[in-house]
Amino acid sequence: MPIPRDERAIDRFVDRLPENPLFKFLASRILVPLWARWTPVKPLPGGPHPSFQRGDNVQCMMNLIMPLKDKSPVGRALAALAIAQNKDAIFAGLNNVGTVHFARFVIVGDNICMFSVYDGDFTNYIRDFIATIGSVFNAVVGLVEGGEKVLPCEKNVEAFIQWVHERDLYQVPDTPTDFLRDQEALNGDRAVSPVNDDLTLLPRKLVLQLRVNPNVSLGSGYRAYPGFSVAQVRKQLGLGW
Amino acid sequence: MFDLSDLQGNILRGYRKPLVRYLILEVADRTAARRWLADSISGRDHGVPQITTGNWGVAKPDTCFNIGLTYEGLRALGTPGSSLEMFPNEFIEGMTARALKLGDVGPSAPETWPSPFNEPGRIHIIATIYADKAEQLDQVQQRALDRNALTLLGTRDGYGFRDDYVHFGYRDNIMQPRFEGIHDSERYADGQPMAPLGTVLLGHPTNLEGLTWRVPQPAALGDNGTFNAFRVLKQDVAGFENYLDQAASELLEHPQVDELLPPGAEMKIGQVLAVEGLAVEGRHGALREIVAANLCGRWRDGTPLALSADAPDPNVNQADFDYAGESRCPYGAHIRRCNPRGGQIVQRIANNSRRLVRRGMPYGPAYDRAQRDPDKPEPERGLLGNFIGASLGAQFEAMSCDWLNLGLQDPRITGSNDPITGSNDPKTSWFDLPLKSGGTIRLRGMPQFVSTRGGAYTFLPSLSAIRYLGSLTT
Repeated sequence: MPIPRDERAIDRFVDRLPENPLFKFLASRILVPLWARWTPVKPLPGGPHPSFQRGDNVQCMMNLIMPLKDKSPVGRALAALAIAQNKDAIFAGLNNVGTVHFARFVIVGDNICMFSVYDGDFTNYIRDFIATIGSVFNAVVGLVEGGEKVLPCEKNVEAFIQWVHERDLYQVPDTPTDFLRDQEALNGDRAVSPVNDDLTLLPRKLVLQLRVNPNVSLGSGYRAYPGFSVAQVRKQLGLGW
Repeated sequence: MFDLSDLQGNILRGYRKPLVRYLILEVADRTAARRWLADSISGRDHGVPQITTGNWGVAKPDTCFNIGLTYEGLRALGTPGSSLEMFPNEFIEGMTARALKLGDVGPSAPETWPSPFNEPGRIHIIATIYADKAEQLDQVQQRALDRNALTLLGTRDGYGFRDDYVHFGYRDNIMQPRFEGIHDSERYADGQPMAPLGTVLLGHPTNLEGLTWRVPQPAALGDNGTFNAFRVLKQDVAGFENYLDQAASELLEHPQVDELLPPGAEMKIGQVLAVEGLAVEGRHGALREIVAANLCGRWRDGTPLALSADAPDPNVNQADFDYAGESRCPYGAHIRRCNPRGGQIVQRIANNSRRLVRRGMPYGPAYDRAQRDPDKPEPERGLLGNFIGASLGAQFEAMSCDWLNLGLQDPRITGSNDPITGSNDPKTSWFDLPLKSGGTIRLRGMPQFVSTRGGAYTFLPSLSAIRYLGSLTT
C-alpha cells in the first residue's frame, strides 16, 4: 500500500522550482543577490572544524587554492617549474616535519593548489614546515596574488600562517546542523539558538554561504581506515619515524 | 652581557619568594591608568609600587611588583591600532577563544570559570606582587589601588610549600631554561643546550633557525617584551591519591608485578622517600609511588626516572639527564611530554623549540591524607601558573595541543592525554608503565586531575614599553 503523502500543491511546486530553467535564471540573477543584500553572510574560515581533538583520528586536511599572478600558460609553467625545482626539498621537508601524510600540488585553471593531509594542529604544521623548507613556500607563494606581503615566510611567520589559513578551504560539515553552528559561531553566538537551527532555512543559508565561500571542501575527508598518525603508520610498517 | 634593567623581573631569573598575590584589574580611566603606568617606573618609592626589573642588584627587594597586559588592556590604554594588529592572533583572541587547543573543555571550559575570569573582556592588567610576609602583600596592593585608575576585579593568592613541593606531593621548580648570555647563580648546567634569548624575548633569535617572531612596533613597545599564559589550575589531589590506591591494588594482582617491583625492593623506595617525610607503606605503598613516579617522570623527591627508574636516588643531579637512546622514563610521562629534551620525537625540528619559563605557586590548603574526611567536599587547591615564552602559539599552545593533549610526538603515546594535566576521561584514558624487559603494563581509568579555573594571555612589556604606554596621549 503506498505511503500517504501530505504534501500540498504549493509544496510540490516549490520542490520542483530548482529544476525550472526560468526559476534558475531568476534565482541566480535576482533572488540570490537580493537575499545576500538582506542577509549579509561572512565567509567561513578554512581548515578542520574546531574541536578538542580526541585520539581516534589525528588526521586533518588542508586545501589551499592560490590564484597565480600570471594568468597565462607561462604563469602556469612557472608554477610547475617551482615545484619541480624543489622536489628534493619537499621530500626532505615531509620527512623532517614528521606529521604530513602527503602533499599534492595541482594546477587548476589559473590557480596553484596545495592539498595535504597532516596530523594535529594546523599552525604547528605550517610553522614546522616554514622552519624546515621555508624556501619552497617562498618560491611558490611568490607566484601567487598577494603572496609578496608575507614573504619571506621565515621573517613573517605569524602573518604567513594567517595568510595560508585564509586560503584554506572551508570544510562543509556532513551534518547540516554543524554547518549552521559554524555560521552562528562566526557571528559570536556560542549558545546556538534553536530558532536558528531551523532546517527549512538550510538551503537558503547554504546558497548564501557558497556565494561568499565559492570554493569549499565537502566534508573533511573520507578514509578507508582509522585516522592513524604518520608516525604510527611508519612505526607499524617498520619504516622508522 | 644583556642589560636586564629594561626587562621586568621574574622572566629570565625567578624571585623565589614565598608569597604571591595576583591583582586582576580593569582600566577604569584611560588617562589615569597611563599616569599609573608612568609612575610605576618613575623611581619614586612612594605612591604606585615600582616595577621590579630583571636587574635587582646584589639583594632581591623585599617585595616585587610586575604587570602583564591583556590585548583588551592594551586597547583600553589607547594603544594605536597599527601596533595592536601586529600582536599575534592567539594573544588578540585571548585564552578563552583558544580553549579547544588548550584542552579547556568539560570542567575546564571557560564558560565554567568563576569571577573574574568569567568576563575576560574586562581583564586588562594582571599585576603580581611577590613578598616574604602577608602584610607586605596588603601594603603593596593598597598602594597599587590608591588611585581611580584601575578597578580591582579579583585577587588570587599563592604560597610556596617547603622545599618547592607542590600539591600533588612532588618536588617542583627543579628545571628552568638557562639563557645564552644570562648568568643565573641558581641555575647549573643541565645537559640541555642553552636557550637563545628569543625563546622568551621578542626581537632576538629563536630556537628555530632562521625564524623570527613579529615584534609589535614601535620598537619601544615590542622589543624585549614577552607573553605569559597565566593559568589557575585546580588540582584534585584526593582524586589523584585515590587513583594511586586503585592502580596499586590492580598492579598487586598483575602477573608481571614482580618485574615492576621485585620482592623486597619496596624497602629502598620507602627509605629514600621517608627522608623527605613521605610515608610509604609496604608493597602497596611502593607501587603507589611507582605509579606516581611514572605518571610524572620524576619520583616525588624529584629524582628523574631517566636517571633512576627503580627507586628514588638522592645522589643524582636531578636536572642533568636526557631521553636520548634507551630511557626508562615513560614516553607519556608528564615532564617528558612537556619537554622531550634530546629524545627522539616525531617533529624532528621541535626538540628544545617549545621550552617555556615556568613561574608557579600553589594555592589553597595543603592536602592531608590522614585528616581527610571523605564525606566532606575538599577545599579548592591548585596551582597559579605562569608559562612564559616569546610565542604563545609556537610554544605554550603547540606544547599543550600536540604534545600534552594528543601525544603526537611519539607513536607509542599518540591518542593519549597527559596523565596528570590532561583532560582525561576514565572510560578512554590509558598510560603505559614500561618494564625492564621492554614490555609495558597499561594503566586505564585515569580521571581528570587538573582543571582550569581561570586564566588570561598577557603581554609582559619591557620597561621601555611601560614608559611608551604611559606616555600615550591619543
